Amino acid sequence: MLGAASLVLFGLIVGLVVGLYYAWLVEPVSYVAAGPSRLSDEYKEEYILLISQSYAADGDWEKARRRLENLDDPNVANTVALQLERNLRNGEPAQILNKLAIVAEKLGSRSSAVALFVPSRGEPVLTRPSQERVSATTTLLPTPTNTSRATRSAAPSSTPTEKPSSTPVPVFRLLKQERICRRNTPIPLIEVVVYDAFLEPIPGIEILVSWEGGSDHFFTGYHPENGKGYGDFTMEPELFYRVELADGSTPVDGLQIENCGAEIGGFAGGRRLTYQNTDVQQGSSGP
Amino acid sequence: MKVDRRSFLRAAAWIGLGLILGAGVGLFLGWVAWPIEFSDAEPAVMEERFQADYTLMIATVYLEENDLSTARRRLSGLGKEDTGRWVLGLAVDHILNGETEAEILPLVKLANDLGHFSPIMEPYLFQIESTQGS
Repeated sequence: MLGAASLVLFGLIVGLVVGLYYAWLVEPVSYVAAGPSRLSDEYKEEYILLISQSYAADGDWEKARRRLENLDDPNVANTVALQLERNLRNGEPAQILNKLAIVAEKLGSRSSAVALFVPSRGEPVLTRPSQERVSATTTLLPTPTNTSRATRSAAPSSTPTEKPSSTPVPVFRLLKQERICRRNTPIPLIEVVVYDAFLEPIPGIEILVSWEGGSDHFFTGYHPENGKGYGDFTMEPELFYRVELADGSTPVDGLQIENCGAEIGGFAGGRRLTYQNTDVQQGSSGP
Repeated sequence: MKVDRRSFLRAAAWIGLGLILGAGVGLFLGWVAWPIEFSDAEPAVMEERFQADYTLMIATVYLEENDLSTARRRLSGLGKEDTGRWVLGLAVDHILNGETEAEILPLVKLANDLGHFSPIMEPYLFQIESTQGS
């Protein structure tokens, strides 16, 4: 005959299992006053994105920091940097990436993706077309063969002489266009290399690629092993591509996969486009 | 084997006692000590102050980008029956509580563009119009 203790123990175990089953599966605790830390990954990403966009709009870092603290994430800098990388791979627009990178950088992240979008003070600064720019010295490299680029005659001067124009002026000129082949290896790539006026490679430059029925974009600097100014895009067979830089360049049309010579295997080859930024920033460290 | 009725009742009582105790412990553990980590939530389950802050962020971005469909999509995560009325309520609260214009203006603009208006918003709407018009 079983003793009383054994019977109680048996009941206890069965009761425990039933109680846990009910508490965890049938009627779990329902939170109705959760914080952002309880959000699903998808909504956490949305929350971080909103924080970065709000910070870009109001510039209130204290508020942004408080909001990030609500995520209860001990490594929030890394979380934001990883979200930036995911967004990069998903082809999100540059404005979104830039705002995320600024927040990640403010949190102390120093990942390569962050460095791409938040250049440090020592790196060259790109300038957009403005009335106050001067032409870069064109003797740095041989004259480009592309003649369709608008010519500018503004001489370096403290008084801007260039008249405002409604026609966008290319900021980058095509220095070189070359065919690329690799022995016994297909390389159906559009490779783009971007330099500044002083031939320093520039990361974070957005390149727009379009073809009949589609478009995409990519950035330089995401393959640091090939140089900070390098970016590439894989072409599909039987499509013709058009490439231009988002900040302004003469478009290059008709790029397609071209088979390389039989002597090196006859595999698919691509094109390498080299651009130079024709703008230099005015040396105005002071007012 | 013939079981004595009294012994059977005694055994059942001991088992019942164990069951009650075990279920009590199980419920305590499942609800209090080790509740299920609820980590896959929508903004709708957030505390109201977090929902208000979430809405303020949506409004701030909307004031900047003017993308009403994105703002609507984001607000839908809050699960409100009438998101416009919710934003209007927040805008009015912010005005009455004397919050900064940096917070009031986005909420006023979003509430108005969602089709909700209160006379208290009028000076702020005028301010937004004159800022955006200039």
